[in-house]
Amino acid sequence: MTGEATSVTYRGVTKRYAGQTDPAVDDLSLEVEAGEICVLVGPSGCGKTTALRMVNRTVDLTEGDITIGGTSVKDRPPAELRREIGYVIQQIGLFPHRTIADNIATVPHLVGWDKERIAARVDELIELIELDGEMRDRFPSQLSGGQQQRVGVARALAVDPPVMLMDEPFGAIDPINRERLQNEFLRLQREIRKTVLFVTHDIDEAIKMGDRIAIMRKGGKLAQFATPAELLMSPSDDFVEDFVGADRALKRLALMRVSDIDLWEAPLAHVGQSTGEVRSKLVGAEVPHALLVDSDRRPIGWLSESDLAGDTVPATPDSGPDPILDLEDVMRDALADILQSETQYAPVVDGQRRIAGILSVEIIQDFLGSPEAKEEEHPAADRPLAEDHSAAPPDYPPGD
Amino acid sequence: MDFVLIAQSTADEFTRDPGSGSSGCVANDGICPDWAIDNFDRYVTPALEHIYLTVVSVGIGFAVAFLLAVLAHRQRWLIAPITGATGILYTIPSFAFFFLLLPFTGRGNTTAIIALSAYTLQIIFRNIMAGLANVPEAAKDSGRGMGMTGRQLLWRVELPLATPELIAGLRIATVSTVALATLAVFAGAGGLGDPIYADLTFKTNIILAGGLCILIALAFDLLLVGIQKLAVPWRAVRPV
Repeated sequence: MTGEATSVTYRGVTKRYAGQTDPAVDDLSLEVEAGEICVLVGPSGCGKTTALRMVNRTVDLTEGDITIGGTSVKDRPPAELRREIGYVIQQIGLFPHRTIADNIATVPHLVGWDKERIAARVDELIELIELDGEMRDRFPSQLSGGQQQRVGVARALAVDPPVMLMDEPFGAIDPINRERLQNEFLRLQREIRKTVLFVTHDIDEAIKMGDRIAIMRKGGKLAQFATPAELLMSPSDDFVEDFVGADRALKRLALMRVSDIDLWEAPLAHVGQSTGEVRSKLVGAEVPHALLVDSDRRPIGWLSESDLAGDTVPATPDSGPDPILDLEDVMRDALADILQSETQYAPVVDGQRRIAGILSVEIIQDFLGSPEAKEEEHPAADRPLAEDHSAAPPDYPPGD
Repeated sequence: MDFVLIAQSTADEFTRDPGSGSSGCVANDGICPDWAIDNFDRYVTPALEHIYLTVVSVGIGFAVAFLLAVLAHRQRWLIAPITGATGILYTIPSFAFFFLLLPFTGRGNTTAIIALSAYTLQIIFRNIMAGLANVPEAAKDSGRGMGMTGRQLLWRVELPLATPELIAGLRIATVSTVALATLAVFAGAGGLGDPIYADLTFKTNIILAGGLCILIALAFDLLLVGIQKLAVPWRAVRPV
């Protein structure tokens, strides 16, 4: 029953609540692949929670079918089905009368594991969620909200279910802890690779958490089902565009790393090099200033006009190299660094702190406005500086 | 058959006995500690009877109310009729209740216990229902969502979480049963009502029997508070 993630497929799923004429979920078809996080997002009343709850039959389907790994949920007794699906809710729902260990052991208990196995699994999970071992025998009311929701996640993972349902799991947590829990869960997910259905009303959370996002609109209709990048670049209609927000270009930057974009080539200079050579390098260069680097090509600073007044390049330039960006930096943060330093461009270095290229505000602007940005794949094909940084000898022949 | 509702069977036993010292005090209906000490053994049997009546009545009342509550929890439509019916039982005056039962059950413990149990139903039933209603929706949702059956949810989540209210109900029911059981003597079931009603003019007697009632009620209450502490450990803890 456990382990391997399985796909979850909605086929023409409709839910009509008794006494309501409009369906809560209307003809929803969706294929959630094994091991991915699919976020259901939309305004309140769009049927996202109903759509989620039909998977473990805490809400029953009116029409259509949901299959997990090919088996219809309708063919399974609800209680048995639910024990194979992790369930995390916004209000956490820990049992106040049970200790943390007993809470985590709920489903193992229901499926009849023996004592030793349960105890071992509880220890394993407490470690996995990085909770202090002392907490084991505390009651939920003695834990903070963030700790409680970690326990909620651990409890849902107890029998290693292939599928997890998470209904606004971090919605009631304060923003700082929410961000931590999101990151922790993403880290966890890289290890455990569950098929996760995740409901939120927060588009930023959806973009952050989702491998794919299903945007739903009022009336329980699917508006768009796409990767976060697709959603931000080409919203299918006005509703999605509106919901994603006017700042979707900036959100797109949150999904990219500096290494995903074509950088400018830096006009490099070395200490003691003739200023004539450096000046000739600057002719036609995209960056108007030369970057002084050491013998390992680590940035030292930017050379100003006065630095180039002499015959040779001085060892201490007028201005330092800051901010220095990393290839692994998230684009949004990189842009923020550049803007904060009131500059137009910044050197980008690799893991060894060696220069890999220059990122400028202009590059980002061009990227956001270019047709290139409309493609799904990152424009990573042609990136000489970023790719050959492992080749040790400097490839900036003097007098180039 | 003798339906007369007086405590006549044992009445003489508890009237003052002027021959046993402190005669002036006793003769004047005063408060006579010496007499109380000398005659304390007269109260042991009635006190034990009183405790017996209380324990059995509350026990039966709890069992019945608990079953009714579990039933009504499943079949919500039963809540109103059960509340109504136990409410009516609760309003019947105790003398009338005994009198109504006498043709069927005669004088004795059975009549008293039926009436006393019936009075506890309303309190215990309503408290259990209130306790079940106070169970956090999230705990129920997550319990169901993790695959608990209705019965597992009831026994493992809902009833344990309803325990504080349930015990609160038992406390009220027990204390009021201790008080009401003083009337059991009119059904021929003895208890501390026996000495009290034997001679209502003799202060020492009233204070002694009445005081024992209060002590019994306090003891039961403390016992139940102790049980609550053991049964509800999660309520006692403070966030760290």
